[in-house]
Amino acid sequence: MRIVYSWLKEFLPDAPSPERLEELLAGLGLETETIDHLPAPHSKIVFAKVLAVEAIPGKDVRRVVLDIGHEVQVVSGAPNVRAGMGLALAMPGAVLPNGMELSARSIAGLESYGMAVSARELAVGDYAAGLMELPADGLPPGTPLAEAWPEETVIEIEITPNRADVLSVYGTARDLAALGLTLVYPDPKPKTSKLDLPFQVWIDDPQGCDRFTLSYAKNIKNGLSPLRVQRRLYAAGMRPISAVVDATNYVMLELGNPIHAYDARFIGEGLLVRRARNGEQLVTLDGLERKFDQRDLLITVKDGDKSIPEGIAGVMGGSHSEVREDTTEVALEVAHFEAVSVRGTAKRQSLKTEASYRFERGVDPDGQVRAGLRFMELLQTWTSATALSHGQEGGWEDEGVLVAESRIDLNHTQPPKPIGFRPSYTDKLVGTNFPVQEQLDVLKRLGFEVEGNAEPYQVMPPTHRMDMGLEEDLVEEVVRVIGYDKIPVTLPTFFPAPDNVGVDEPYLVKERLKAVLSGLGFQEVVNYSWTSPDELAKHRAPAPTVAFANPQASDRTHLRTALYPGLLHTLGLNLSQGEEGPFLLFEVGNVFNKIETTRLALLLCGEAVPGRWQPGLGGGFYALKGLLENAAAHLGSSLEVLKETFPHLHPGISGEIIWNGQKVGSIGQLNPGIAAQAGLPASYLVELELPLPVAKTRFKDVAKFPAALRDVAVVMPEAATYAEVESLIRGAAGELLERLEIFDVYRGSPLKDGEKSLAFHLAFRDPGRTLTDGETDGFMAQVIAVLEGAGYAIRK
Amino acid sequence: MDINTAIAEMHRAVTLEALQSLKVHYLGKNGLLTQEMKALGKLSPEERKERGRVLNEIKQALENAVRGREKELEAQALQSQLERESIDVSLPGYAFPAGGTHLTSQMQAELLSTFRRMGYSVVEGPEVESEFFNFDAINMPDWHPARDMQDTFWLKDSGDFDVMGPEGERVNNLGGLLMRTHTSPMQIRYMIEHTPPFKIVVPGRVFRYEQTDASHEAMFYQLEGLVVGPDIAMSDLKGAILELARSLYGAQAKARFQPTYFPFVEPGAQFALWWPEREKWLELGGSGMVHPNLFKAADDYRQKMGLPRVYDGMTGFAFGMGIERLALLRYGIPDIRYFYQQNRLSFLRQFKN
Repeated sequence: MRIVYSWLKEFLPDAPSPERLEELLAGLGLETETIDHLPAPHSKIVFAKVLAVEAIPGKDVRRVVLDIGHEVQVVSGAPNVRAGMGLALAMPGAVLPNGMELSARSIAGLESYGMAVSARELAVGDYAAGLMELPADGLPPGTPLAEAWPEETVIEIEITPNRADVLSVYGTARDLAALGLTLVYPDPKPKTSKLDLPFQVWIDDPQGCDRFTLSYAKNIKNGLSPLRVQRRLYAAGMRPISAVVDATNYVMLELGNPIHAYDARFIGEGLLVRRARNGEQLVTLDGLERKFDQRDLLITVKDGDKSIPEGIAGVMGGSHSEVREDTTEVALEVAHFEAVSVRGTAKRQSLKTEASYRFERGVDPDGQVRAGLRFMELLQTWTSATALSHGQEGGWEDEGVLVAESRIDLNHTQPPKPIGFRPSYTDKLVGTNFPVQEQLDVLKRLGFEVEGNAEPYQVMPPTHRMDMGLEEDLVEEVVRVIGYDKIPVTLPTFFPAPDNVGVDEPYLVKERLKAVLSGLGFQEVVNYSWTSPDELAKHRAPAPTVAFANPQASDRTHLRTALYPGLLHTLGLNLSQGEEGPFLLFEVGNVFNKIETTRLALLLCGEAVPGRWQPGLGGGFYALKGLLENAAAHLGSSLEVLKETFPHLHPGISGEIIWNGQKVGSIGQLNPGIAAQAGLPASYLVELELPLPVAKTRFKDVAKFPAALRDVAVVMPEAATYAEVESLIRGAAGELLERLEIFDVYRGSPLKDGEKSLAFHLAFRDPGRTLTDGETDGFMAQVIAVLEGAGYAIRK
Repeated sequence: MDINTAIAEMHRAVTLEALQSLKVHYLGKNGLLTQEMKALGKLSPEERKERGRVLNEIKQALENAVRGREKELEAQALQSQLERESIDVSLPGYAFPAGGTHLTSQMQAELLSTFRRMGYSVVEGPEVESEFFNFDAINMPDWHPARDMQDTFWLKDSGDFDVMGPEGERVNNLGGLLMRTHTSPMQIRYMIEHTPPFKIVVPGRVFRYEQTDASHEAMFYQLEGLVVGPDIAMSDLKGAILELARSLYGAQAKARFQPTYFPFVEPGAQFALWWPEREKWLELGGSGMVHPNLFKAADDYRQKMGLPRVYDGMTGFAFGMGIERLALLRYGIPDIRYFYQQNRLSFLRQFKN
């Protein structure tokens, strides 16, 4: 909402400087986005009247003869220049707001005395399609425009959806007045005449439209609105169109009521407000043909048994009854429509207007008559047939605009309901100790009526505060006016209810995991939660189960089902950008399969520890597995990998991860087929479902007796795994086997082709005594017997 | 045998081996001195006594000479070994990777540690939400204009995916499915599952239908706080935020509150922190006293699940803020796309504390 400072001053004569206002507004919850200082136009920019426009043969620019007290010519390519109009001329020597200085120059072979400017060139508005048209008699020709357009300040306020009451100059002034500033109440008084109203109004749906006023004026001479008004409209971000249309916009900006003027010639016997019939159509003011269904509320023109759509209630009028240059009589609608209905229609039509914006947030259901009167007052000031020339605003004659004394006012609105208010509740909820009287005074200054002598007071909100419904709403009103800075600073003291104890365990475990992985050299990355079916298919990840209804881009259509494609994407991106390894990446994030779960993924590409100028410390499957084993050790957990295949992994270099005895995910080399397709080097991946099963730490006394050490080497076929042998040994060695450690994998003579030998250290220890050689040999005999029984040979 | 020659020879020995031979030559089993000692038996007792004494002195002197030279040679050997083993310590070592967490994780962990110090528990919620938890239950019904403040990624419900409620129930039927637009649905989820009083903070990913550019991301992280109890006041909210300001910016930090509107709080406040180092206010987030409709929504849901109503008469405060902004400001990072769209290691590796 752009608040023009001079306009605001009309309602708040004591308003402080814009900069101070920014602070006051912020304290009230109205945040200033920007303060724009609009300079007065440069002194060499003058008002000019177009005397003649002549084509220049063979050129697309025209010669324009201007009156600026004397005759001058400019050359202009603007499409809208025509004889009789007023415009702004930047004479030679004028400096435009963008810093450009004008000089007399030759265009198309003709001397051009400066330049006729557009609204954008003058930095008053964002319209550059043509010259800024000014009322023909706006100023005596040659007068600096600055005389009518002094410098101006605009405060742009961001208004939250609840504060519909400040979507106007007056509404903003009214809120500021609660701080103790004097407020001038708007009290428009057009001169009225006894005229018959040539129409009627019917409301078919009093819930969708609970208030409808229609008033009437004739003998209008529609032209351009006065220069001063044009300035304000431009400053407020609107484009002046014609006096009548400008007056509707002016009233809306000033008082907050969206209003609509119909050319009274086109509304027949009157207006009927009703829901649309499915498929009904209407061409709106923007020239678009729109289609409706029975949820949409329409204003229709009643014609016998028929009623023809003429406007979308609270959104936009129809083009048929649009106010034109030749309009001489208008019917003025100031109504109140249900917010939810307007919002629904505006959304379905993708049509956000100043009117719908206000109605869907809530317009004062009691401001209609005042807004109507204000419109008529402006109409009489701006458009009387005894045209107001410059300098004599206000003096209208009998031939001026005739405003009907009576009006139609169908009113089904409900008065606001009182709210019980306890000042003591303010203090409890906010932690303050504000005096009762001060609290009640604030409410009164905001326009609330307070009744009663004790708690709970009965507080009646003003009609423009539709956001008031609860005692808490009143508390906020009281506190925002007194000032949030008056609230003390405390910390709560309480003992949490027992069911809240330990709820952050999953978070702590996750943080611990991240810290361990970081310590091992992995860099965390964060990838998007979304992906596409192509991306998933390319990486042989599970098909997606969740799709966006409104995807942003073709590579953001579904939710990810695995983390590793994101890590590979990150790897590819980093390689293509020439980033340096080592590439040890991890991500902790959510994936979406049958349900949403949290996972950990790891990636290793290249050497785990590069040696730089000397051989590095390796990479590959066993490096990644070793790092994961290290992580498990850090977390006091056991880790096993059992051979298993996964679609995205190398079938011979992949396995299932068993963490503390439970299956939690996969480890292996990225399937070379996928790697080749993606142009990636060999990469190794881990993907685990979180939370990982936790092992409890149990104290075990330090060793007091020596361990007995033995070795054994087992010969086995190539296909047999370490895990199988390990499990046999552990099973056979008995409870006193303290440690089992592989120290050699051997292939070659004297073993046969297709055979390998795995050599183990075994350490036996009895916590209570020293084992004898005989006992230890006995354990080994069991081990060897079991291994041989399983078909393996023992290497001597 | 001339003792002086012998000692001089020993001093001239240049290796331990040469010294060893000299030692054998003079003092060994058949050494010159040993032979003279053996010859003592042929002398008279008087001569033997006198000669024995001389020989012993010689022996002592030779042994001392051997030991002395031994030490010298050992020192020399060690010295030359040390010289031999000398390396260029300025050459770099193995490139053990220095891993780390993502900048967002670091910022998040820093904030969470502040709140954990104040006794808050950290909990997390799902990224895919039902419309009910994301909007309706936190006082943003379908018709509410506040929904326009958050452009939403809506999801198709194919039936292949289950959204779980706070009690493990399937909640796909509670309105449409969407990517949560804020962490606020956890306020309701937590209140349904737990009883007051409590203090929680909720970090997490949130999603907005926005085009990504230097200052906008469609995915970002928020931190939400919720404190509920029988006597929680807005002054407690101020205390929590001031404590946050101090932990971020030191003892000179300040917190400022201004009225604003969020459907889930009343009164509502936006807060800014004073950053003494840069001498400016940072608009950081929204906050306020929990709107009574949230307590009602939580209790209604509890009742539906067969749990007792526990929020009647409770008050509480809530706050929420973005996490990336703090990091962007702290390090002067010009573009949020460095965070998730790119994941360049040369970016991520910069932030180690």
